[in-house]
Amino acid sequence: MTPKVAFVTPRYGPEVMGGAETAARQLAEHLTAGCGWTVEVFSTCAVDHITWDDVLDPGDSVLNGVTVHRFRSASGRVPEFYDLDGRLRPAPAQATMTDARRWIECNGPVTLDLVEALRAADADVVAFYPYLYYPTVIGMEAVAVPRVLHPAAHDEPALYLPVFGPTFAGADAICYHTAAERRLVQRVHPVAQVPQIVLGLGVGPVVEGGRAGADILGIGNRPYVVSVGRVDEHKGSAMLARYFRLYKERHPGPLALALVGPVAAPIAPDEDVIVTGVVSEPDKWDLVRDALVAVSPSALESFSLVVLEAWEQSVPVIVNATCDPTREHCERSGGGLWFGSFREFEVVLERLCSDGALRARLGSRGHDYVASYYQWPSLIARYARFLTAVCERGPSRVCASA
Amino acid sequence: MTDDRSGTVGTPAGTGVEDADRAYLARVRAEIDEEVRRRRASGDLPAQLESELDALFLQHAPLGSTRQELHEVLRLVDAAAFIDPVVPVESSRPGGAVVKKSIRSMNFWYLRFITHQVSQFTTAVSRSLHILDHQLAGLTAKVEAVEVPPSVVVDVARAHRADAWWVPTVEAELDGCRRRVLHAACGDGWLVAVLTARGVDGYGVDPRGGRVAAQELGDMDLREESVLDHLRAVEAGALGGVVLSGLMEGSGHGERRHLLESAVAALAPGGVLVVHSLTPSGWDAADAPVEADLVQTRPYRPATWTQLLGDLGFEATASPGPDGRDYLVVGRRLSPPPETR
Repeated sequence: MTPKVAFVTPRYGPEVMGGAETAARQLAEHLTAGCGWTVEVFSTCAVDHITWDDVLDPGDSVLNGVTVHRFRSASGRVPEFYDLDGRLRPAPAQATMTDARRWIECNGPVTLDLVEALRAADADVVAFYPYLYYPTVIGMEAVAVPRVLHPAAHDEPALYLPVFGPTFAGADAICYHTAAERRLVQRVHPVAQVPQIVLGLGVGPVVEGGRAGADILGIGNRPYVVSVGRVDEHKGSAMLARYFRLYKERHPGPLALALVGPVAAPIAPDEDVIVTGVVSEPDKWDLVRDALVAVSPSALESFSLVVLEAWEQSVPVIVNATCDPTREHCERSGGGLWFGSFREFEVVLERLCSDGALRARLGSRGHDYVASYYQWPSLIARYARFLTAVCERGPSRVCASA
Repeated sequence: MTDDRSGTVGTPAGTGVEDADRAYLARVRAEIDEEVRRRRASGDLPAQLESELDALFLQHAPLGSTRQELHEVLRLVDAAAFIDPVVPVESSRPGGAVVKKSIRSMNFWYLRFITHQVSQFTTAVSRSLHILDHQLAGLTAKVEAVEVPPSVVVDVARAHRADAWWVPTVEAELDGCRRRVLHAACGDGWLVAVLTARGVDGYGVDPRGGRVAAQELGDMDLREESVLDHLRAVEAGALGGVVLSGLMEGSGHGERRHLLESAVAALAPGGVLVVHSLTPSGWDAADAPVEADLVQTRPYRPATWTQLLGDLGFEATASPGPDGRDYLVVGRRLSPPPETR
């Protein structure tokens, strides 16, 4: 008999934009569809991770075979958060536990009902995703069955807050996106002995719409590079646009940049920088397929599905050199290059745009990498075996005597 | 068999970067780096613009990124060192710019006085850091000239296998262990598999590129990482056993001590530390692994281990191998440990 799994994630649903939340939904749905497991999700009614406003209806529903329990939040992010965060940010490891716990409450969403429901749930194992929020920190304390933590950790000040020490230490198993994430977490928290798996996420299926990418962008037959993901200053979009515009000043030609994704920080479009906003899945795949290169400018990724989606279509990538997970993907696969300054961006982009053989070789290596590691059927089967082992091991990670 | 402590990730057998591709990509990267250096030296970008572009990049780079060099971060410090007393006066409101300009004029003498001092301070700090960077570079060059060869994992095929003479002893010592047991260097997980079959919750770490990666899609908990880094990231007293094989012979004295101390700290009271090693005579034998010539250290004698472990609060015994070329030391951590001699 297969275990019953509960996922705890602060936001859940197709309307939610967020890497960790999307990852949780994909794992939950693939466990149900691919392995026939019973999966339920404990989440809030929020869509926005800043306000945590209750937007979706509370109560139970079924989404793609997964039972979803939604609860209202007692509070979202409160104004006090910004002062407190500003005070703790310079030296987060030195914060008092009282301040750090207050930081969790002020960041929201405070979900007392969710935690109580979780306490009463009959799941055999509970997966928490990501480490950063109240439902994980408080929920993990409330659960008696084995707890699997999916940190989705970035190298951010919050990771160093002492309140997360017990969260990591309390996990019966940890599921990482990449080995780089594992190194980061183990550098901050002493959890190397905890059973773990480096899993990541599956790619696809590819849903092509059959349109030419340049047609979707309305740029005729001009070549272009693409960057898929939230258009946001923190994601490096503004930097990319600035670098690309300067690149075009120094290397005039038809090349364009397409920023594809929801716009959080407006970037003024022009004839060289096209901001599409949200596009359909088929359009997204078409846009990526026909790009010369895909760029991931963000320094704060814990996995970056968009890099793997580019490789799925044999498109080479350029990533931020200081982002360990995406750079690790490139180093392991040989499917991409990286930049740590405008100078490097310029030379790398120029080289890739002018060297079709290099593009083909990188794209091919990336494609092989995705085929080996990130196909859903094998990935979800491996995750299911991992969860089964966690259940068999039981909740008591540390016993009374050796 | 180089023990890669750099934290780089290995290549999965058959799926990652093949040798030819690896060489090709390394060449491409080298050409890119060379071109970047050439353009930087040419000064074809105004220094102020290049500083702004660097600052833009570093604005969202992770804190303490291991990928950044000091001299790169110093470019950001330099760009921010000058504090401009001339406050912008643009305004979207009618007359706003005039008002702002008047306020700026009235306060300018004061702001200039303050910002001048702050700029002097930041410039001095920046200058100090540049000197430090320069001295560090010099020091690094000197250290590299006398660098001790890196520690290596010693692969001894006849001894690192499930039917080796010492494995039954390890199984017996760890039988019934209720905490996790670490094997390093674990290779393809051969000992972890043996322990798991006995109901022991074993996992493995190996620093060698590609050794673990070949198994990483399997179900064993095997990780490619530095053993020392791993042990330092283990919660104190969390492990029931630590088995070290192929590690100590090729480690320098300092690293050997750190490995031992970290392993001891990771063990719970009653926990078992196992060291399998070649003997000094096995190290000198004609059929010794090539690593014997590549490192500057020699294996300890068995008696050295029993004394060291005794000093650390262990009850330790040493067992020689059947042909005298290797030995096994098993230490059980006492609670409380005796006073250090």
